[in-house]
Amino acid sequence: MFSTGSKYFFGISVLGAVSFAVYMLLIGESAIGATALFGLVAAAGLLTALVLFTRDGDAGEEGVAASTAAPTPSMWPLIGAIGAALLLVGTITSAVVTLLGIVVLLAALVEWTVLSWSERASSDASYNASLRKRLLNPIEFPVLAAVGLGVVIFSFSRVTLAVEKSVGATAFIVVGALVLAAGVLFSLRPNLKRGIVIGVCVIGAVALVAAGIAGLGVGVREELVLAKEEGHYTHQECGAEESEHFDKLPLEVISATASVDSTISLVDGKLVASVQGIAGEQNSITIPRSNPTNIVFYNASEGEYRLVANLGKKMVTDGVNEDVIQCTQLIPQGAKQLLTLTIPKPAMAGKPYTLTVPGLAGQSIEVIVP
Amino acid sequence: MRRRIIGALAGVTTTLFLAGCATNAPQDTWQPKGPNAQKIDNLQKPVFAVAGIIGVIVTVAIIVAVIKFRDKGQPIPHQSHGNPALEITLTIIPALILTVVGVFTFRTVFDLAKTSDTEMIINVTGQQWWWEYDYPVQNEFGITQPIITSGQLVIPAGTKVLLRQTSRDVIHSYWIPALNGKRDAVPGRVHLNRIEADKPGIYAGQCTEFCGLSHANMRMEAVALSKEDFAKWVANQLKPYTPPAENTLAKEGETVFMNQCIRCHQVNGMKRADGTPVIAAPDENVVSGAAPNLSHLMTRNTFAGATFDLLNKSCREDVWNADSESFGAKYLTGVTEDCLNQSDLRGWLRNAPAMKPMYANPALLASTGGKYRGMPNLGLTESDIEKLVAYLLTLK
Ligand code: HEC
Ligand SMILES: [Cu+2]
Repeated sequence: MFSTGSKYFFGISVLGAVSFAVYMLLIGESAIGATALFGLVAAAGLLTALVLFTRDGDAGEEGVAASTAAPTPSMWPLIGAIGAALLLVGTITSAVVTLLGIVVLLAALVEWTVLSWSERASSDASYNASLRKRLLNPIEFPVLAAVGLGVVIFSFSRVTLAVEKSVGATAFIVVGALVLAAGVLFSLRPNLKRGIVIGVCVIGAVALVAAGIAGLGVGVREELVLAKEEGHYTHQECGAEESEHFDKLPLEVISATASVDSTISLVDGKLVASVQGIAGEQNSITIPRSNPTNIVFYNASEGEYRLVANLGKKMVTDGVNEDVIQCTQLIPQGAKQLLTLTIPKPAMAGKPYTLTVPGLAGQSIEVIVP
Repeated sequence: MRRRIIGALAGVTTTLFLAGCATNAPQDTWQPKGPNAQKIDNLQKPVFAVAGIIGVIVTVAIIVAVIKFRDKGQPIPHQSHGNPALEITLTIIPALILTVVGVFTFRTVFDLAKTSDTEMIINVTGQQWWWEYDYPVQNEFGITQPIITSGQLVIPAGTKVLLRQTSRDVIHSYWIPALNGKRDAVPGRVHLNRIEADKPGIYAGQCTEFCGLSHANMRMEAVALSKEDFAKWVANQLKPYTPPAENTLAKEGETVFMNQCIRCHQVNGMKRADGTPVIAAPDENVVSGAAPNLSHLMTRNTFAGATFDLLNKSCREDVWNADSESFGAKYLTGVTEDCLNQSDLRGWLRNAPAMKPMYANPALLASTGGKYRGMPNLGLTESDIEKLVAYLLTLK
C-alpha cells in the first residue's frame, strides 16, 4: 500500500498536523507559528500524494542489456578545457575570471561524467539518452533559465541607464507587453510552425542583447554621472526645508529595519523614544560607544519631517571644528526611515548628543554614550 | 587484539562518563541558581529521562538483533514489503511523544522570551575577547549616571534583569549556565536575555560562539549582590575620580598611564594637567573600537575577559567560597594591596599577548589599518610597571 518514499512524507504530515492542533489548542501565541505549521502540513501532504501517485517514480529498469557501443561525440571536453584555461587566466587577471572558470569547469565535469555514465547504462541508445535527461534536465533547465534571465536583465538595465528616466519606463512597458503578446499567441496557436516560433524568439533575443551592447557603448545618462561625481548619494542636507539632492534619492532601508535598537516617533508634535526591551516611552537612549546602532525615525505627525542627530564637533584641521550631523530624509506622515549611528566617544560635559527635528522647537531626545 | 580494543573503549567511555560527576563544576547546566535556569531544568530533566529510556531500548534492540540474527550461514528469510499497521503505529507513537515534548518546549521558550516584567536593564556588548556592561540611568536603583564596567556583571539578587546584548565585531554568545540559557550577541542587532539570581554569589560563564583566537579566554561572571549591597556597589561606581596624592608612586603611575594607556582605556573623570578631561580613543586603536573602562578596575576581581584573577589565591577563595550572607561584604571590599595577584597583573602589563593570545603584533596589522585586536605589548620598563600597579590599585 505505502511506497517507501511516501512513508516518510506521511510521517511528516501526521506530525505536522498533530503539532498544528496542539499549537492552536494550547499555545496559539502567534499567527506566524500557525501559518508555518499549516504550511508544513499542506506541503508534506502534497508530497505524500505525489509520491503515492507516481509510486516513488519507479520505472522498470531491469531487463536491458549492457552497452557495447562507442561513446557519442560531445562538446563537454572542449568546454571543460576552456574552463580550465579561464581558471588559469583568472589567476593573473581577476578573481571574477577564475570564478567563471571554476563554474564552467564544474559544469563540464558534471555533464561529461553523467553523459559517459549514461552511455554505458545499456545497449539501447535512446534509453541511455532518456536516462541522461532524467538526471540532468532538472538542473540544466533552471540554470539555463537563470543565465537567460541574467542576460535579459543586464542588457535591459544598460538600456534604461542610458536613456531618459521616462523613456526607460515606457520601453519597459512596451517590451513587456510585446513579450506577453507573443506568449499569448504561442499558447493560443499550439500548431504554429516551429520555425516561426524559433524565429521570433531569436530575433527578440538578438535585438535585446544588441540594445544592451549599444546601451553599454552610450554609457549612463548625464544626470547619474553628475550625481555620482558630486556625491549626492552621501551628501546630506539636514535643514527643515527640502534639500535639492538628498531628499530625492530614496534610502534603501528595508533590510536594516529588521534590527532596530530604538524607534524615535514624532507624535502630535512630540518626540518620544521606544527602546527595544524597555517598556514605556523614553526621553533618552543609551548606546554603547563605537558600536553601529540602528535607529528608526517614525513620522506620525502631519507634514514632512526629518530626524537629525547632533553628535558634537570634530576637528577637521588644527583649530577648525565642524559639527558632526547625521540625518534622515524628509519623510511624510506614516513613513519610517533608518539612521545608523556610530559614536566613538562620550559627549563632553554640558554638551549632550541629541536627536532633534528641524522646524520643531523644544523637542529632543538625548543620546547617552557611556 | 579485539579484546584490547574493547577494553580500551570501555575505559575511555567510563572516564568520559565519570567526568560528568565533578563536584566543583561552576558551569554545570544541571544546577540552576535562578528562576530562568530553573525553567530550563524543569524541561530538560524529564526530556532527558524520556530520551534516555528510548535510547536504551533502541540500543538494546539493535544489539540483540545484530547478535541474534548475524550471518551464521542460515538461508535468507522471507522478504516482506511493508506492514501498514505497524508502520502507522510506529509513526504515531514518536509523533505523540514529540508533540508532548514540543508543547512544553514552546511554553518554556515563550516564558523565557518574556520582557514585560523586567525590573532592570543592562546593555551587554561583546567584542574580541571580553564583555562590556553598561547600565543606563535607572533612578529606582540609584543609577543616576550611566555605569560602565567589564568582565563581571554585577546584578541585584532576586531582580529580573534584562540584558540587551549586541556585539562590536563578530558574533559572540552570552551564557551563564546557572542563570539562563545562552543567547548570541550579533553585530547590529539587539538580542534580549533575561537573567535572575536567587541568592548572592558568583556565577561563571564563557563565550559560547567561536569568535577567533582567544575565544577560549573570553569568560564572564555574573555577580549577584543583595539589594542593599548592590546599592553600595552602585554608589561606589558613581564616586567621582580622585587623583592620587602628589609625590607618591601612584601619582607617577598616573603620568605613565596618561602617556601609555589613555589612548585605549577610559578612566572617567581623569583630567590633564591643564584641566581638560581625558577622553580615550579606542576607536582609533582597537578594531572593535573599545577597550575596558578602568575607572573602578579594583572593584572587580578578575580581568582580561575574566580569564585572570586580580585577587591572589587565598583572597580569591575567601570571596568565591563565601556563603551567600557574607559574600556581599567580601566582594565589595574589592582588591586591596595585600590581596592583589601581583604576578598576573604585572605579567599583563609586561606582555599582555603572551598571557592571552591576541592579534597585537604591530608588524602584522596592515589589514586592520594599524588597529589591534586586544592589548599590545607596550614595552614598559619594570619601574613603569611598578608605578602603574601602584596607580591601578587606586582605581576603586
Ligand atoms: C592599543 C590599545 C591598548 C593600550 C594602549 C592599552 N590597553 Fe589595556 N587593554 C586593551 C584591550 C583591547 C583590552 C582587553 C583585552 C581582553 O581582555 O581581551 C585591555 C585590557 C586591559 C586590562 C584588563 C581590564 C579588564 O577589566 O579586563 C588592564 C588592567 C589593562 N588593559 C591595563 C592597561 C594599562 C595599564 C595600559 C597602559 C600601560 C594599557 N592597558 C594599554 C587595549 C589597550
Ligand atoms: Cu566571544
